[in-house]
Amino acid sequence: MFSGPGTIGLPRNDRPRGNLLPEHRARVPGDPIITLDGVQKRYGTVEALASVSFGLHRNEAVGYLGPNGAGKTTTLRIISGLAHPDAGTVSVGGVDPAHDRRRALAHLGLLIETPGVLPYLTGEDMLGYMAEIKGVSRLDRGRAVERVARALGVAEDLSHPLGSLSTGRLRRLQVAGALIGDPEVLLLDEPTLGLDPVARRDLRLLLKDLHRNGVSLFFSTHLLEDVEAVCDRVLFLRNGRVVGDEPVDGRVGGEVGGRTIVLHVRTLSPVTLESVGTILGPDVAVEQREAREVTLRFTGDEAAQSALIQRLVTGGIPIVSAESARNRLEERYLERVGREES
Amino acid sequence: MSAFVANARWEILRLFRSQRIFLWLIPPVAGPIGSGIAFLYLRVPSNAVALILGLFVTGGLAGLVMLDLAALSLGEELSRRAHLVAWVLPQRRGPMLSGRLAVVFGGSLGAFAVGAALLWPVADALVPATAGPALIPLAPTHLFLGLLSLLFFLGSVTFTASTITRSASEALVVGVLGSVVTVAVAGFLLVQHDLTALFPVALSVVAAVLLGASVVRVSKMES
Repeated sequence: MFSGPGTIGLPRNDRPRGNLLPEHRARVPGDPIITLDGVQKRYGTVEALASVSFGLHRNEAVGYLGPNGAGKTTTLRIISGLAHPDAGTVSVGGVDPAHDRRRALAHLGLLIETPGVLPYLTGEDMLGYMAEIKGVSRLDRGRAVERVARALGVAEDLSHPLGSLSTGRLRRLQVAGALIGDPEVLLLDEPTLGLDPVARRDLRLLLKDLHRNGVSLFFSTHLLEDVEAVCDRVLFLRNGRVVGDEPVDGRVGGEVGGRTIVLHVRTLSPVTLESVGTILGPDVAVEQREAREVTLRFTGDEAAQSALIQRLVTGGIPIVSAESARNRLEERYLERVGREES
Repeated sequence: MSAFVANARWEILRLFRSQRIFLWLIPPVAGPIGSGIAFLYLRVPSNAVALILGLFVTGGLAGLVMLDLAALSLGEELSRRAHLVAWVLPQRRGPMLSGRLAVVFGGSLGAFAVGAALLWPVADALVPATAGPALIPLAPTHLFLGLLSLLFFLGSVTFTASTITRSASEALVVGVLGSVVTVAVAGFLLVQHDLTALFPVALSVVAAVLLGASVVRVSKMES
């Protein structure tokens, strides 16, 4: 599907991890593969989804952000046919999963609601079963399992009982299962939940690699850094409604003249604190003042950014840190979802 | 058909990995051996009485195996949320469950049938040929068929309970209670001389309906 016959769009076994995919595919969003239009869902008196509409295109990586109870998992369950909408339409590859779940799921690799495992089974048992159901022929099954497990760095876990694996190894194995059969889209529900920082970072790198290699991603989370690291686009969900749909890096609409950076500068005394204001131009916003530190926000091209930094250095203002406004997703999250909701 | 076969294989693999597959050895091994010991110690008066006794022993053991495996066939996955692995794969749940249940029910009933069949040579060998006939409430072959239908019924009740409670242990309790009630009803009918072939046939029909309804229900069940 992605890199030729007999492959799954994943790195070859002999490629070192961290530089897995030497030839990145162009990530131009294609046709919509998943569309939801006015989807509503209630559980008794609780309204899980008020009205959700969005589309996921091929080659996209979309994060689905919202607080607990916003309806993220319900949305994924409806897409995967595990739940049926009360109203609205859902299409996965042109098929309504509520009517023909088998055909709809053939397009998807899913990891939903952090499934449990039967501890006495081995990874090979689980992946082999998934490969068989996904139509991988008996002859190719062993190779397919081995290849996907190697790609995710869990080949050595295949023969171990699932109950003996750590949460991180198990999650990788489950992602491997979702990838068997070359799905066009990988749907993940809070994939990094419960992982330690190293395992989270590894899984994020893995998802980025998969996306670069042409796998479309859609994953729900409330961990903003996961979305920032992996996704092109983010949907904000609040009270069962999509309240924001924008690129992750924040360049909305005509904001193409430069990138926004945030500078943290230290002031040595009240005098220099005041001097900051005179050094800065009109385009710089002073966001936050603390006793000895000021946060500045500035949008401009590279030359303008360099000039600002030069002015600060020349003015004797120490720069503590500088970060891309891409890292300010948290602010947009709070704007869209609301502080009280989070 | 492919989902049926794949899931039948999957169930066998599960039974093997969990070592529950060895439960199927109990009725054919412990049934005849335990019955044989009982024949000797109780000095059963006739071959027919020995067979009746042996069928109750073997049927009881097979019942425990059936209850356990029926409760765990889906209940274990539902309680551990492991069903979310299979339910998001491109397969229909009807054939999926049918394949798994075919193994559980086929294996458990088969284990009972083998154990019961071994009772005849054991009784022939251990009960003196000179022993006189004794009055028995029903023919051993009729009891064998009745126990088959009872096992089928109890497995169906337990499986159905597991889909409702989503818990293997609670389903097992329901299965045990179902066993007690059903056997008590059968005993009452026997004492009243009202136990006919209608009873096991009714049990089998109810079991089949319960199983079918449960499979359909699970096919539409939201996770």
